[in-house]
Amino acid sequence: MSAKMYRSQKRIVAGVCGGLAQHLGIKVGLVRAILIGTSFFFGAGLIFYAWLWLLVPMAGEVAGADAPVVELDGNPRLKLFRPAVGAPVAERPNAGRQKPPVGFKEILIGGILFAAAFILFGRQMGWNLQLGTLVPLSIIVLGAVLAWMQLDNTRRIGLLSAAKADTPMALLRLGGGIALVIAGVIVIVAGSGSWTLVWASIVASLAVLAGVALVLAPWALKFWREFQCERAGRIRETERAEIAAHLHDSVLQTLALIQKNAQSPSDVTRLARAQERELREWIYQDAEHNSGALVERVKAVCAEVEDLYGQAVEVVAVGDAELTERGNALVQAVREAVLNGARHGGTTVSVYVEAAEKGVDVFVKDRGAGFDLTGVPPDRLGVRESVVGRMQRNGGTAEIISSAEGTEVRLHLPSETSANEEAK
Amino acid sequence: MTVPATPIRVVIVDDHAIFRSGLKADLAADVDVQAEAATVEEAIAAVHAVQPDVVLLDVHLPGGRGQGGREVIAGCTALLPGTKFLALSVSDSAEDVVSVIRAGARGYVTKTISGSEISAAIRRVAGGDAVFSPRLAGFVLDAFGTAEVAVEDELDKLSARELEVMRLIARGYSYKEVAKALFISIKTVETHVSAVLRKLQLSSRHELTRWAVDRRLL
Repeated sequence: MSAKMYRSQKRIVAGVCGGLAQHLGIKVGLVRAILIGTSFFFGAGLIFYAWLWLLVPMAGEVAGADAPVVELDGNPRLKLFRPAVGAPVAERPNAGRQKPPVGFKEILIGGILFAAAFILFGRQMGWNLQLGTLVPLSIIVLGAVLAWMQLDNTRRIGLLSAAKADTPMALLRLGGGIALVIAGVIVIVAGSGSWTLVWASIVASLAVLAGVALVLAPWALKFWREFQCERAGRIRETERAEIAAHLHDSVLQTLALIQKNAQSPSDVTRLARAQERELREWIYQDAEHNSGALVERVKAVCAEVEDLYGQAVEVVAVGDAELTERGNALVQAVREAVLNGARHGGTTVSVYVEAAEKGVDVFVKDRGAGFDLTGVPPDRLGVRESVVGRMQRNGGTAEIISSAEGTEVRLHLPSETSANEEAK
Repeated sequence: MTVPATPIRVVIVDDHAIFRSGLKADLAADVDVQAEAATVEEAIAAVHAVQPDVVLLDVHLPGGRGQGGREVIAGCTALLPGTKFLALSVSDSAEDVVSVIRAGARGYVTKTISGSEISAAIRRVAGGDAVFSPRLAGFVLDAFGTAEVAVEDELDKLSARELEVMRLIARGYSYKEVAKALFISIKTVETHVSAVLRKLQLSSRHELTRWAVDRRLL
């Protein structure tokens, strides 16, 4: 007994009985007898047989590299919709089996059984069946079965899934198409005695065409999906090539430089940090929410200072603003503050930019020893002129709070409109 | 933040063996690494086997359905109240950070932080508090907006105090410094941060949803 049902390879028609027997753990002969026996009751056994034939995969099913495949769980899926990462692709059991060609015997048995069941079914219901309708009907059914068997099983299941035949609506659609074809042919065949009814022929042809279109839709869909799959593959390939080129230009070069400068820890840190920043920029460029001018400039000057001193500068930005002339002055003030922090702080400098409607606030914090603001000699222009003076000239404010735990420079630049309102 | 008497039991989940061993060597003495894992499946198995206090979880992991850390948390929901997740990543993109927080992580730190800092973060998470890096605080401010203020316990807005706390953290303040600057206790800061974390995880705020959709988080 096996948990998963597969159609048997040792088969007379399609291996359904064998598979079912193995699945249920009973004898093949018994299953066959039951199925044949029940076939005489409204063809139930036959319908059940056909249903299992369609839905149960063949034991040792194997798919081509780009063909739709049957997953381990028995769900037919196209390759495109399988999870790309970490999927246990190589675990399909019994791979590598070749499907033997469909024999004439099987078709014959299937066709005859089908016809016999139908006739029996009709007799049971007491219909007055005419062989004139029955024969073409069975020929059509035989033809459909033949065509269906031309496809290997993976294709069949792929088609069923491509036509979304696993939903009732789609099954109805598929069945409707086939019924239309059959009805059309019957009308033509049965109407051979009354050719005068031209409209009947027209209706019939239309019905046939509509049916053919419905039947062919899965094929078209399947080819479209395969095309999409291939295109996605090509795009992935191009992307990979682009990434490889970029990594070569940047990361590999930096790694080479680091190896050369291995004896100088500060150089190594600086190179690694610069490369990290560049790589981050490249990776997250699309996701970057605030790619506006001001924040970008602040990040650029921080990167510059980082390169200069080999000191990490962490920028956190919320919102963004246009880069005006006053904004430029703010950026310059930020640069000076960050420089100061990196020079004297000696640890990571945190920069927080918050741009809102009212204005832009920037906070530059380091964890250095701090300094006494009043103790700064008047000739030292750094802080007093470049930060405080610059901010005041542009209508902003600057505050410097320094303690033993570090220094924080707080810059505020009101937006143009709120600056005008506040002008006293 | 008090140092617990018993060591904190930790599982490290990261696909780089070098990083795992480096982190192990860096961690403080009261942090006891019980298991390591390199893939989603290994991580879920290890967390269930060990039932640690804290899981140090890399955001990007091989295996599973390709969802990395999020999937590990989803696979361990049964243990969630007892086992806390601290996300750890080199990535500081909004997608990675916010998605793993919304999946249930109690905090987020970047891999560049020092051993003592990460040990402190582990203790904090083990104690039931949230760990916010400046960048995560920045994302929160970005997502919730800095203008509107919640009147009551609204899920989709931050209260005035929470905004202040987030701002200070984004500016690089430690919890202690935040407490000092706002004249409140560290415990109160932790309460505020936990409240923000809860809002970030539960809020269905329109802007937050849109913000997340923009970044393909939902």
